[in-house]
Amino acid sequence: MARERVRFSQIKRYWPLYAMVVPTLVLVGLFMYWPAVSGVWHSFYRWDGDEVATYTGLQNYGRAFTDPKFGYAFVVVGILFVASLFKMIPSIVTAVVIHRITSDKARYLYRLLFVVPMVIPWMVVLLIWKFFYNPIVGLLNSVLNTTHLMDVLVWANAWLVKAGIVDSAAFVANKSPAWLGDPDLVLPALIFWGFPWIGIIGVLIYLSGLEKIPRSVYECAELDGVGWFRKFLYIELPLIATQVRINLVLMIIGVLKGYGLILVLLGDDGGPAGRGLVPGLYMYYNAFIRREAGYACAMGILLFFLILALTVINNKLVRVEK
Amino acid sequence: MSKVSEGRGAWFLKHAYLWAMLALIFLPFYVMLVVSFKDNTQFYNRTWAPTWPLHWGNWLEAWDTVGVYIANSVFLAVTATLITLVAAVLASYVFGRYRVPFGDLFWAGLIVLMLMPGVANLIPLFNLMKRLTLLNSLLGLSVVTAAGGQVFCLYVLRNFIEDMPKEFFECARIDGASHLQQVIHVVIPQCGGIISALAIMQFVGAWNSFILPLITIRDTELLPLAVGLYRLQGAYVKQWGPLMAAYFISAVPLVILFAFTMRFFIRGISEGAIKG
Repeated sequence: MARERVRFSQIKRYWPLYAMVVPTLVLVGLFMYWPAVSGVWHSFYRWDGDEVATYTGLQNYGRAFTDPKFGYAFVVVGILFVASLFKMIPSIVTAVVIHRITSDKARYLYRLLFVVPMVIPWMVVLLIWKFFYNPIVGLLNSVLNTTHLMDVLVWANAWLVKAGIVDSAAFVANKSPAWLGDPDLVLPALIFWGFPWIGIIGVLIYLSGLEKIPRSVYECAELDGVGWFRKFLYIELPLIATQVRINLVLMIIGVLKGYGLILVLLGDDGGPAGRGLVPGLYMYYNAFIRREAGYACAMGILLFFLILALTVINNKLVRVEK
Repeated sequence: MSKVSEGRGAWFLKHAYLWAMLALIFLPFYVMLVVSFKDNTQFYNRTWAPTWPLHWGNWLEAWDTVGVYIANSVFLAVTATLITLVAAVLASYVFGRYRVPFGDLFWAGLIVLMLMPGVANLIPLFNLMKRLTLLNSLLGLSVVTAAGGQVFCLYVLRNFIEDMPKEFFECARIDGASHLQQVIHVVIPQCGGIISALAIMQFVGAWNSFILPLITIRDTELLPLAVGLYRLQGAYVKQWGPLMAAYFISAVPLVILFAFTMRFFIRGISEGAIKG
């Protein structure tokens, strides 16, 4: 629908329209634009986050580029990002499996059941995972011990040390590994977190894409004797490609911006030896713990440009042909 | 739907996979429920299996601590959702139907804001709230949360309103409906599905909000749920039973919400996804 043009000179006739935008303008202008502008402005200052601010030019940016911790934070976020790509798979698989259930009733029931865990607050999920990771009473260690997977891990770890691939042993016989306390285990713990990695919103979005596949397509495939995997590859995957891309964009932004998870699981300094430090958390740490708000703002601007670049690249590269 | 002949093996595999996944997803419920009835001795002796006697007192104790957090979070989530949606519906009616001066500029700015990492403007936001004396106040927090929710809601709602047939609005206008009346009688009934889905998402978002309340709320009796629970688990001596009972209780309000709105939510997400 073509939108009607309203000129500024017609304000007398159209004033209710302007009035209707005011609440949003005030909210967004005051609480989002203004802090953003102020953040850009302060990134050129040495600022304690309060009153004292001295102009230092590009010093904050120069410092960010040479700060080894900031660089390391990007390595961590890169690893987490690659892991998240794989962690998208279970949602897609689950959506396809639900879609292929033939009974309408069962399909609806499964959909409903998968939505139910959404009622658990995010914080509770995190704290329960923290509890799973607990070295003494945690579920993960008891599962590993009862299934003797722990012995396999100990053996594999010893072999890797002997082969010279890793230099320290995280798994030692008869010792409970501290998943969130051992520097070598922090990253695996952050990756494993949330197993089996089914995001219900993602599943629902994929399902709505899958439901548009006409029945005839399946019948043709059936006649041609197409196997289940090729059906997935040639029928289902192309149809949810758009949705996968949307989720991918959201995930990139989420992974790069997010740090609440790590703040809760590991604390504000990124856990043992700072192994879990991500850019967002490092910014938070600088802003609120070390009181170097100007530096934190500069890092924020750099991160913003990175997210912008990745989103543009994603839109260019991952073109979905209809 | 695909009516494909399937073998018994395929049938079994599909259902087995889904039930296995469900078991893993529902594991936290089991853990919370089982542990919530234990005292610390039972907890350290047998953590994962049910033990007797059941300590019902844990639940009372938990309610005494989290009750106030839940009340705070309900207040926060309800007000934030209301403010977000009222503002966003009104504004997206304007943006969806008219080209107002500077509208496109404002719109481009919104998209950029979506990419801005929250922390970069967290400190200026904190300062601003301090100057407006919105710190340590739940209403202040919900106004700021509502501002944060605007971007996404505007984006989705504007697309919906733009795609609505023009005739709806023309008819209403001929009948003498003002802009506000058009919003109430045309937009809200027509976009009911997506509006309720957005409302649920905003509510859940506010319910889960953590960083902003963590830095803006000082008084313990004003803490919303997420921060309250975070502080609780940080306590030195942990009483696991009451802690888990508290976790369980904190899921109840969302159970109630979803019991009534699940249908809208699933439908809304599906509609929204088709729009893409």
